[in-house]
Amino acid sequence: MINALRRRLNIPPREEWRDRIYEIVDNRVRIITAGLNLKELRAIMRGDPPTEKPNPRYKVITTSFVAHLRPRYYQQASTWFTHTFRLGWFTTFFFIVETITGVILMFYYIPFPDQAYESILEIESNVFFGELLRDLHRLGAEGMVIFSWLHLFRTYFTGSYKGPRSFTWLTGVLLLIITLGLSFTGYLLPWDQLAYWAVTVGSSITEDAPFIGPQLNILLRGAPDIGAGGLLRFYLGHVILLPLLAIIFISIHYYKVSREHSISLPAVVDEDVLPKEDRKENTRRIDLIPDLLTHELFLTSLGVFAMIVILYFRWFHSPLETHTNPQQTPLDTLAPWYFYFLQGMLKIDPATILETMFGWVGVQVELSRLLNSKFIMGLVVPPGMVILLMAIPYIDRNPSRLARNRPFAIAWGIAWIFILVALSFMGTPQYGIETPAATRIIQDLGPEEGQGPIREIPYQELIAGVGIYEVGHDYGEELCPDLVYQPNAEEDVDNIVIGCPHLTAVFEEYSERLLEAEENGLLPEMHATFSVEEFQHNVIRVEPHVNWIDAESGLPKDYSRHYYLHEDRSQDE
Amino acid sequence: MKRVQREILAGTILVILSVVIVLIMGFREQNRLEEYVEFQGAAKIEFGAAVYETNCTSCHGPTADGIPGLAPSLRDHSFFAERIDEVGWAGSLEDYIVSVVTTGRQVSTRPEQYVGGGSPAMPTWSDAFGGPLRKDQISAVAAFIMNFEAYALGDVPTPVPLAPLEDLSDPVALGRATFTSAGCIACHTVSGLSTGIVGPVLDGVGTRAGGMSDLSAEEYLRESILNPDVFMVEDFSEGIMPQTFGDTLSEEQLDSLIAFLLTLE
Repeated sequence: MINALRRRLNIPPREEWRDRIYEIVDNRVRIITAGLNLKELRAIMRGDPPTEKPNPRYKVITTSFVAHLRPRYYQQASTWFTHTFRLGWFTTFFFIVETITGVILMFYYIPFPDQAYESILEIESNVFFGELLRDLHRLGAEGMVIFSWLHLFRTYFTGSYKGPRSFTWLTGVLLLIITLGLSFTGYLLPWDQLAYWAVTVGSSITEDAPFIGPQLNILLRGAPDIGAGGLLRFYLGHVILLPLLAIIFISIHYYKVSREHSISLPAVVDEDVLPKEDRKENTRRIDLIPDLLTHELFLTSLGVFAMIVILYFRWFHSPLETHTNPQQTPLDTLAPWYFYFLQGMLKIDPATILETMFGWVGVQVELSRLLNSKFIMGLVVPPGMVILLMAIPYIDRNPSRLARNRPFAIAWGIAWIFILVALSFMGTPQYGIETPAATRIIQDLGPEEGQGPIREIPYQELIAGVGIYEVGHDYGEELCPDLVYQPNAEEDVDNIVIGCPHLTAVFEEYSERLLEAEENGLLPEMHATFSVEEFQHNVIRVEPHVNWIDAESGLPKDYSRHYYLHEDRSQDE
Repeated sequence: MKRVQREILAGTILVILSVVIVLIMGFREQNRLEEYVEFQGAAKIEFGAAVYETNCTSCHGPTADGIPGLAPSLRDHSFFAERIDEVGWAGSLEDYIVSVVTTGRQVSTRPEQYVGGGSPAMPTWSDAFGGPLRKDQISAVAAFIMNFEAYALGDVPTPVPLAPLEDLSDPVALGRATFTSAGCIACHTVSGLSTGIVGPVLDGVGTRAGGMSDLSAEEYLRESILNPDVFMVEDFSEGIMPQTFGDTLSEEQLDSLIAFLLTLE
């Protein structure tokens, strides 16, 4: 009876089951992979040649949507590591990492001023792997910006913007702008002091545009100052507008690479510098399947591994300062590092420079009313630089891509890198900004935002070091000679510290710098104290206090700051 | 080994290593979350202390001990043990603090003891009602005040105040210290010391005092402290400056205050 049932249902006899199942699975696999069956997959993994004719590996690219953007092959020399350094690839890798982590973070982040900061705290304190997600997102962002720039430099120096690649270069520059825009819009979202003030300073350059300035400012921020409207605009720009633009332009950019002009051959191959016999090997096809795809999978695992290792050892950590306070601009407000060069540019005053230059030839002019330097350096020069970048393929008429044939282009490129680095240095707060001596010294020891030496003093040392210390008085080598404590009693029983080295070091630096400033005439008749007092049962209050006589007016002046240090505070930030 | 196989092997090893590291992080994650909550609690108290310092010291004193006649202590035993019962508040003390800070007090609830800063007795702090503080700042200040509980309920001995550097045998120095501890800083401005606006600015009072009345400078100042309503300065009203300094200040403190005020020229 069972046999009758079997025959009815077309089930083959038991001996044939194994083959039949293999057949079914093989068929499914072929359908899923757009043409590769199990035997072919095995050959791919083993690095063997294709098992069928016509080569089913090529067909994948035409029949599968997912793979339609990929090339059938690259030429061997195009894939030399020293030619591309895989920079473009890693830029895309980071974009994908950002998209995935970003979408997950979107489930937790709330883009309204009352809740944004708290939602970040939620992510870090109440979401499993929340800190990892946020750190991955931030690290991926930094990586994407770095690799975009490096990819641009590589493409420039290998001359791979010439000929048919001019339009690809154009889309590439656009993608750089979009990447910087993505990073900038994302920077505001934590809604802490770091975010708020960096973006306020950065977006304030729009105000100075003539005629349309205020409107442009409101368009960007939703209001004259950044508030709920600004946050929402930046959020939406960050999660939908710019990603859409990025995807569109990445697609155009890479489609041209895949379909039209491929990755450039290194100039030494293309322009026959290398021996002719090698040309066959240099132009050998490297197929997508298996070689390129396996290589890319390998790079993916490498990238993910590198990111996870960096985050596991906390070599990178996304910062979170205190809640946004529009009434209080912290000292040393910084732009995001990739915009330091813009901040540096804003410190250049073309009016003063021109006036000085005119002065050399004896002409006295007053230009500051005519030349609004913030407008010029913020709104004219940067777009000018972008247009110059885009125009490079059309300005550069030299058909050769060999470095030796384009000395001017290479020199120009190196010069620009130096200029950008120099401008970035100028953008840091220590450059060109005068801070009074007492403020600077105390700020360096205990910055308004972030850790700093004072906040890193372990609580045990603070408790033992309670007292008022006077600068100039000799307290000996060690402020608390009787103290013995274990900094990390739970994890490391053997680590024992004698005395309070951190507190002593802070007080020593404080004293030395103040005495030096007094000697240099910056703080005449300086008298300073450093007090450490128990404020609550687990909160210590630290107050450096500096008194001096102002050199110009002869009046007494003073400066002090207070730090409240809780026993359970985090030792790193 | 062909390149493809090498890369597959290397990639697999890296993936396994990544998974292992993520698993290790996963095992630590619960701990990390709990630690982070602790850190945040600590950071909130520190933040609250800073908010308190900027906004509340002029009435409640620099160490939250209150200023007699002006505003109550926020760290004594009665505040923690009795206050919410006294006012009939049904919730927690922390919620009570948040509610009072948020809405302020139009009128003092204990006018004989604590006058407060005029009208309103305590300002409205929440930005929802036109004040300067955000919700998170108010919440932080409440957490900070609650952290005095250990002192208030006697679990931990309060610290001995730091020995001040100034030699208090000098009457002027003692006077300056008394000017702070007696609460004069809450209402009077003295450059470099206080910024109160309830009472007249005291810069230069050392020079002015002699010419304000028939009395000598010293007698005028003494009378102004002991019987504030006798000599009124234009634009300021009677009945605001506490009348009780005769009882709360010792003779030595009074003399030193006058010595200090006479130096303000």
